[in-house]
Amino acid sequence: MRILASLVVIAIVVVALGVWIIRGPSPLDFAGGTKVALADYRAGKPTGVPAKLEKAGIVERGEYLAKAADCMVCHTKPGEKEYSGGLGFKLPFGTLYSTNITPDKETGIGNYSDQDFLNAVQHGKRHDGARLYPAMPYTSYTYMTDEDVLAVKAYLFSLPAVRAKAPENTLSFPFNQRWAMIFWSAVFNPDTRFTPDSSKSPEWNRGAYLAEALAHCGECHTPRNLGFALDNRKKFGGAITAGWRTFNISSDKATGLGNWRDEDLISYLSLGHAPGHGSASGPMGEAVDHSFSQFAPEDIRSIVVYLRSVPPVLSPDLPATTAPVAPASHRDGVTADARGKKVFASACASCHGWSGESPVSPMATLTGTWAVNDPAATNVAQIVLSGTKRHTPDGALSMPAFGNAYTDDEIAAVANYVTARFGTKGSKLTAKDVAELREQTAE
Amino acid sequence: MIMVTRTFADLIAVSDPSSKGMHMATTLTINGETKSFDAPPEMPLLWVLRDILGMTGTKFGCGIAQCGACTVHVDGKAVRSCVLPVSAVENRAITTIEHVGNTPSGAKVQKAWLDLEVIQCGYCQSGQIMAAAALLAATPNPDDSDIDAAMAGNICRCGTYVRIREAIKQAANGRQS
Repeated sequence: MRILASLVVIAIVVVALGVWIIRGPSPLDFAGGTKVALADYRAGKPTGVPAKLEKAGIVERGEYLAKAADCMVCHTKPGEKEYSGGLGFKLPFGTLYSTNITPDKETGIGNYSDQDFLNAVQHGKRHDGARLYPAMPYTSYTYMTDEDVLAVKAYLFSLPAVRAKAPENTLSFPFNQRWAMIFWSAVFNPDTRFTPDSSKSPEWNRGAYLAEALAHCGECHTPRNLGFALDNRKKFGGAITAGWRTFNISSDKATGLGNWRDEDLISYLSLGHAPGHGSASGPMGEAVDHSFSQFAPEDIRSIVVYLRSVPPVLSPDLPATTAPVAPASHRDGVTADARGKKVFASACASCHGWSGESPVSPMATLTGTWAVNDPAATNVAQIVLSGTKRHTPDGALSMPAFGNAYTDDEIAAVANYVTARFGTKGSKLTAKDVAELREQTAE
Repeated sequence: MIMVTRTFADLIAVSDPSSKGMHMATTLTINGETKSFDAPPEMPLLWVLRDILGMTGTKFGCGIAQCGACTVHVDGKAVRSCVLPVSAVENRAITTIEHVGNTPSGAKVQKAWLDLEVIQCGYCQSGQIMAAAALLAATPNPDDSDIDAAMAGNICRCGTYVRIREAIKQAANGRQS
């Protein structure tokens, strides 16, 4: 009996230790400064809306915050009504559909009380008591103040109710056991509101609140641990999300943002493009279009201040410097992959040029972008498949989608040619890799 | 090849009139002349050329930069005008098929095209001539690989490729047929 009891104790200690190790630090632990309660912080106002909206009504404030939290992109299926849900998230273990968050009483959140809404957004708990899957980034939104969450609710409730029932999730066992999320949430949801750091500037604190609580940057840019939660030991070190590579946004000088100028970061976030760094595409393009481009300029600057403070994390698979401009003539430079060259000549060269510096617009310049310097070519293949549409600035150049015009084999060949010619190391994509990338972004 | 039919009306419809001015005064330098007109900044150069300025020598093919029929020169380089927002080409020298015969390489190309009777239906040929003239201006004596690299994006449904290749070579060395 005593042996059994000690075994149980040992097991509990091992599990607890394992959980503690896997969970790792919280998103803001790196800062290490002195935390003070929000109510006691007098140096500035890190939460809420920017000064110009301070006097605005709750709906208008909620609109700003809902955009800053980028609710709409995930809760809207392309072509359907905004916030009416139904967008599918293809995961390795099935498809998860976003919910209708319009105020429709039957299919939306029309019956949610304030407490119901807080429970969902901060605690991952649904109106009926069921648990949300963490595809809904409540582990980030949990840092939002009650006031801000309820402003978002007021905004959502000001929208027209849309009757739209999302399809049932198709998750496989054991992922279809929602109740199991109770344990996941207990371990991985910090379930705490934002606390300012009095050793940091007001700008930093505002940036931390925006980046962590609202914009939830880490949900895509921080790699995940064994428990599919964020591994903040490699905070902002980049990951693969929904078939796209999210690049390193830590302060690492070589493979992160350490060498970006402030104006580049500001331009990338607010316009989706920074000269010499390429254009936001895929999910980041959506984040710029629907969220960052709507931020007040001082909020963008605060995010930049905050990003600068995130400790450097190296992406070992990326080169220390991006490749220089390729030769102007097709004859010089890489000669490998004749098939890729042929596709490039017919489909790509007229806009991107043989040197990688676009004869058309700096937005189409390949030189210097991480996409072509990533030896896995993930985003090159994705952009070829689905194109990229920038909405800012006025008259921005867009790229058509080639997914239906070229075979997987041709797309793999051209991606391999492009990374070899304009990047530091050619990729080795196969038709099968491209087929898998198509699969991951089919929704 | 996918064909995408976009009309001027579609294009206007996608621009958001609430957040930006529908039309803006724009000035372009086309064929050495200054042209001023009102157009939304995102309107493709091809629409400006054909619908606003009435310069219909440049053709609409696919609308997604994949066939080359709309090729013009911007600062001497062959580009696809169907995807090129007009705001991207302000202050840059634009040359179209109407004027390319006044450039040395364009004149040679047009002469060779006539000598060898390259054209069949002709729809793609303004684009072919613009691409060939830009090639010769940059590479006066192109070999087959240069021709492939420069001309691969210009598609000809009639299949005049063999004569196009021959005409480029003839234009390059000034040979008379």
